Amino acid sequence: MAALTTDRRGFLKHTGAAAAAALSLKYMPGEALAATAGAALPVYGAWEDVMRRKWTWDRVVRGSRGINCSGHCAFNIYVKNGIVWREEQQGEYGRSGEDTPDYGPRGCQKGIRHSKYMYGKQRVLYPMKRVGERGAGQWERVSWDQAISEIADKVIEHATQSGPDSITFAMGTQMILKRASFTALFRFANVTGIVIPETFAGVGDLPVGAYMTLGYNLPGDNMAAIYKSKCVLVWAANPAATRIPDAHFFWEAKYNGTEVVTIAPDFSATAIHSSKWLNPKPGTDTALAMAMVQTIIADGLIDTDYVREQTDLPFLVRVDNGKFLRASDFGETGAAADTSFYFWDEKTRKPVKAPATGFGAFGSPTPEQKPGESLVLNGLKPALEGRWTVKTKSGRVEVTTVFAMTRELCNSRYTPEMAQVITGVHADNTRAVARTFAKSSAGMIYAGYRSCKWLHGDKLHRAWLLMCALTGNTGRDGGGMQTTQLAKGDGFAQFVFAGIGPRVKVAAISVWDYAKGDGKALNTATYGNEIADHFDKHYRASINNGWLPDYAKTPWKMAFMCGHNTANWRAAGTRFRETVLAKLETIVAMTPDMSVTAMYSDYVLPVAQHYERQDFVMEGRTPFIQVLDRAVPPLGESEDDWQIMARIAKAISEKAVARQLPPVKDVLYGKPIEHDYSKVHELFTMNGKITSTRDIAQFLIDNSEGIPKMSFEELAKKGFVRGDDSEGTQFGPKSPYSYDILFSTRDKRPYATLTGRQQFYFDHDWFLQEGEALPVYVDPLVIKGFPLRLTMGHARHGIHSMWRDDAFLLSLQRGEPDVYVNPDDAAKRGVKDGDLIRTFNSLGGFIAMAHVTSSMQPGAMFMYHGWDPMMFRGRQNFSGAIPTAGLLKPTSLVGNYGHIRYNSPNYVPNQTYHDHTVEFEKHVPAKPVAGPAFTATTAVRA
Amino acid sequence: MSRQIAMVIDLNKCIGCQACTAACKSLWTDEEGQEYMLWNNVETKPGRGYPKNWEEKGAKSGWKDGVLQYGDIHDQNDFGSVPQLNHEEVYFKGTEERLQQKEPMTYGANWDEDTSSGDYPNNYHFYLPRLCNHCTKPACLEACPVRAIYKRDQDGIVLVDQDKCQGFRLCNRACPYDKVYYNYVKRKSQKCIFCFPRVEQGIAPACARQCPGRLRFVGFLEDLDGPIAKLVYQWKVALPLHPEFGTEPNVFYVPPMLPASFDAEGRFSDEPRVPTDYLRYLFGPGVDQALITLDAEMDRTKAGKQSELMDLLIAKDWKSLFNITDVQITSSTGAATS
Repeated sequence: MAALTTDRRGFLKHTGAAAAAALSLKYMPGEALAATAGAALPVYGAWEDVMRRKWTWDRVVRGSRGINCSGHCAFNIYVKNGIVWREEQQGEYGRSGEDTPDYGPRGCQKGIRHSKYMYGKQRVLYPMKRVGERGAGQWERVSWDQAISEIADKVIEHATQSGPDSITFAMGTQMILKRASFTALFRFANVTGIVIPETFAGVGDLPVGAYMTLGYNLPGDNMAAIYKSKCVLVWAANPAATRIPDAHFFWEAKYNGTEVVTIAPDFSATAIHSSKWLNPKPGTDTALAMAMVQTIIADGLIDTDYVREQTDLPFLVRVDNGKFLRASDFGETGAAADTSFYFWDEKTRKPVKAPATGFGAFGSPTPEQKPGESLVLNGLKPALEGRWTVKTKSGRVEVTTVFAMTRELCNSRYTPEMAQVITGVHADNTRAVARTFAKSSAGMIYAGYRSCKWLHGDKLHRAWLLMCALTGNTGRDGGGMQTTQLAKGDGFAQFVFAGIGPRVKVAAISVWDYAKGDGKALNTATYGNEIADHFDKHYRASINNGWLPDYAKTPWKMAFMCGHNTANWRAAGTRFRETVLAKLETIVAMTPDMSVTAMYSDYVLPVAQHYERQDFVMEGRTPFIQVLDRAVPPLGESEDDWQIMARIAKAISEKAVARQLPPVKDVLYGKPIEHDYSKVHELFTMNGKITSTRDIAQFLIDNSEGIPKMSFEELAKKGFVRGDDSEGTQFGPKSPYSYDILFSTRDKRPYATLTGRQQFYFDHDWFLQEGEALPVYVDPLVIKGFPLRLTMGHARHGIHSMWRDDAFLLSLQRGEPDVYVNPDDAAKRGVKDGDLIRTFNSLGGFIAMAHVTSSMQPGAMFMYHGWDPMMFRGRQNFSGAIPTAGLLKPTSLVGNYGHIRYNSPNYVPNQTYHDHTVEFEKHVPAKPVAGPAFTATTAVRA
Repeated sequence: MSRQIAMVIDLNKCIGCQACTAACKSLWTDEEGQEYMLWNNVETKPGRGYPKNWEEKGAKSGWKDGVLQYGDIHDQNDFGSVPQLNHEEVYFKGTEERLQQKEPMTYGANWDEDTSSGDYPNNYHFYLPRLCNHCTKPACLEACPVRAIYKRDQDGIVLVDQDKCQGFRLCNRACPYDKVYYNYVKRKSQKCIFCFPRVEQGIAPACARQCPGRLRFVGFLEDLDGPIAKLVYQWKVALPLHPEFGTEPNVFYVPPMLPASFDAEGRFSDEPRVPTDYLRYLFGPGVDQALITLDAEMDRTKAGKQSELMDLLIAKDWKSLFNITDVQITSSTGAATS
């Protein structure tokens, strides 16, 4: 590079150089004057080479962070002097098949920070065994051999004495999206009989209402679909903070003429860039959605052909008892009689058995199971509204349609004016947005997982899907309710079950914790006897009916927590630690980073970080399959989780052989089975054929539809590949993702629901009794005497609890957990921005910094979730005031009703995180500096 | 100067994720003495920013009637810091109860994140990324008593020659944007170098290339067919920050358009959510016309018509943001050669 001798004052010719120079001399310190007096103009540039050398590296490897943010961003990992120096987006995605912006350059500040964080002081470097009390942070360094041998002893002890059901192995958000690791865990569970806790509903994220309506819970398209929408309602979601690599699609769509409406109580980061913002009171969204349904129906903005064919809205319902009219009402018998439904044919003026119904007691066929069945009406014309009298075996009964009942419900309870009283949203605004949505060529509801965290979140999903169904948007390019898509399970299932068959047991955390942590007592303390008794009565009845397993029958002895920071978010804060974790005999944390869960474990095993392992990630947010390649060896003594599982499997087998262990007895869905623990390692490794996560990744590539066939090494060289049949913005049938929506809307195959349709009406006795046959609004629960609503959402500067303790990212926040409050609420309590406040209710409380901002609705508080309890005073985070693990609503426990049955991961109760209220006050520390002396005992009791 | 490199930052796409901040930090300022430095930062506006209340000081710096003005040097606390945490004590020694910063922050570069102005529900705020403006009339350059600061002929990038800088900090006082930092270990002033080693290889600066929001255009002002010149000169929707400071920045901003406000009854209102006076304060009088132009062109796309301006801003091809021949950076030996 040539050195430059530009006249540095050249540009001043027009602006009075002399005066400026004189002034600068005036401010020049004497020392500087002496240094420069008489000097010639300097030669610049030699130093530039220092900076050029700084931007060099030894190697570049493709990679990403395999965590549950579903970003799976393509990165180049730069290695210099044997360590990861930095990372940068690979970026080169190219345009998708249709006319939308491309996906480059996916990434966020956490990913860009990972090269530093992976060397942070939170890293676990070698196996540790607890020597102090749980939580005391006192450890003994042990060898891998010692740790594994002792852990294997415990597995054998608990499995033989209490059954494999007494051991759980959970994978958390740090690991769960790494396909090979996740697959390995399921095989490990399949060969040992231990239980896998279900964490999707466990963290309250399962879109149950979508499953109820559509027969699947993830009606997602890829993110580029946003650009194809002409009206997007961003509802209960904050993608500007939580979907950083994809948020651009919203603003690009807005520039392209799309109406982007954010619906949230607070003026969120997403609201900032939206066309419009609706601000309902927290938890009243279902009333708002039903007011939009009312507008759509009242204005006649209905796609009637779609509604007739795709939904149960024309189905006949008996006025006398609220039950669907069934074939059994006409005296038919057999399995199909109770699941054959009717509509009123306008042409023949009589009830006609709806095509593609009558699948037997359990209903809900997968489309593949009933290939001949079709939703096509073949000239029939189902009436949407009317009242008729039909002659049944028990006499004449009056019938009407689900649609007519819906209209009546909306007109009697949810006109925009009535909803305004509940939501605070002006009726004119509700109508305006509903009309824009209904009239646009593609209307989308971009649905946030926050919606699932309310006790009655299922009905919000049902209302959303009703808006989408009435307007024909479900299944339309750029339309419908959007969550995400998980990969098809074909290669996964083959690997997990190979040579053994399916023996995996998955348990819903909400039900598990209700049993293990006395959910009834929690409900009684929080909400009083009436609610507690009502819920408990149905919980017991569900178990007695055989709809729900009784987890109380098996003791919980041992837990593996693999990248699973469960003590962070579970069951009313320390209550989980004190009432559940404390009773476990053995807790093993497998983790790269310390956390509250690792702190309360008996063994901590160091796990390789994202750039130290081989795997891949995929999720239908994008059409790409993304590699994780090993840029550097695992730090310290860490190993990837497959290696650790293989070590444990080997130790179990060796000990079983040495002890001549008899087969371990187990029960699988009521049937007795046995596990031969001497063969655990042989089975886990498929007779030694599988030697690493790389091998599993290769198996999955080879055996999963839609993943282009190539060697793992080839994938590692490319970084990412596009899945097959993903050129459009909707996934095709040969793509690696589900095609369920188009199976029905385009190919006319029945939905996997009881009615074979998008189902909006549920006539099960418990639904009728709870008043939830249709998507009605129910007030969120309050804790008496506590006026403020505390809600939470995914974080901007962390993914769940990960990266929350990175010093640099913390410096871009306030250095410690903060909670957002409205200025008036703060002033009333004498609180200023930056003050410490104690947020509390009858359950307990936590201390955090007040972040006072007028973006918050009065009466509402907001906190990013995931802050680790270890970062709070008394190790008590927000979950100290949140009663998870209590609220199992009766309808979520229904079984034997078509697709509605305890069926992880489709239909299980969510943990609830929003149905509580709080108060806050200024926190004045008793002692300003140190507080009570720290001891192991206070740590345990904190 | 033969040509001037420039950046256009579209504030309607910035989500405040700080990916740019992290990208810059990892690449250039990870050494001792640089901890507090953010050559690139993102702050919530209206807000005090980084360093705290820099605009107040800025008004006393820069050029006034052709005369260079000097403000005060900020207190170090105005920048915040990056305190380390007590991981070792809490997690591995068990001597402390709570994971916390060893010296708790009282202010930071992003302290006011999402702290909104105005009253709910007509409150307002947005995100403003900032870096050195590589000004046409750089106050820092003029202020340097030892002539350590220079503006490169080939691209107009303003640099502090680290061999020549004596650490007198007059550049700190003169820069109205507070974008020159003092390295306490090396005792030299340091600042954004517009990633010149990358630019020399045809690769966009890290803050721009690593921006997942796709909101930073990079190119030469003289390239009249490029998006930069079109946005700045032709459409006049990209404006300098605080033009009254007189340094003629070469970083330009597309002003933010926030969602509809509400009237007293809660109906949607035509009243702008962000007071136009505030946007004029930030971007000068040109902001009125810029907003009118943006609104008019968005109305075109809403009506299903084409808009060249909207196509430019949408930038369907990510690479169209960069007009300095951006290439892959995967060579195993390092792309930079000297």
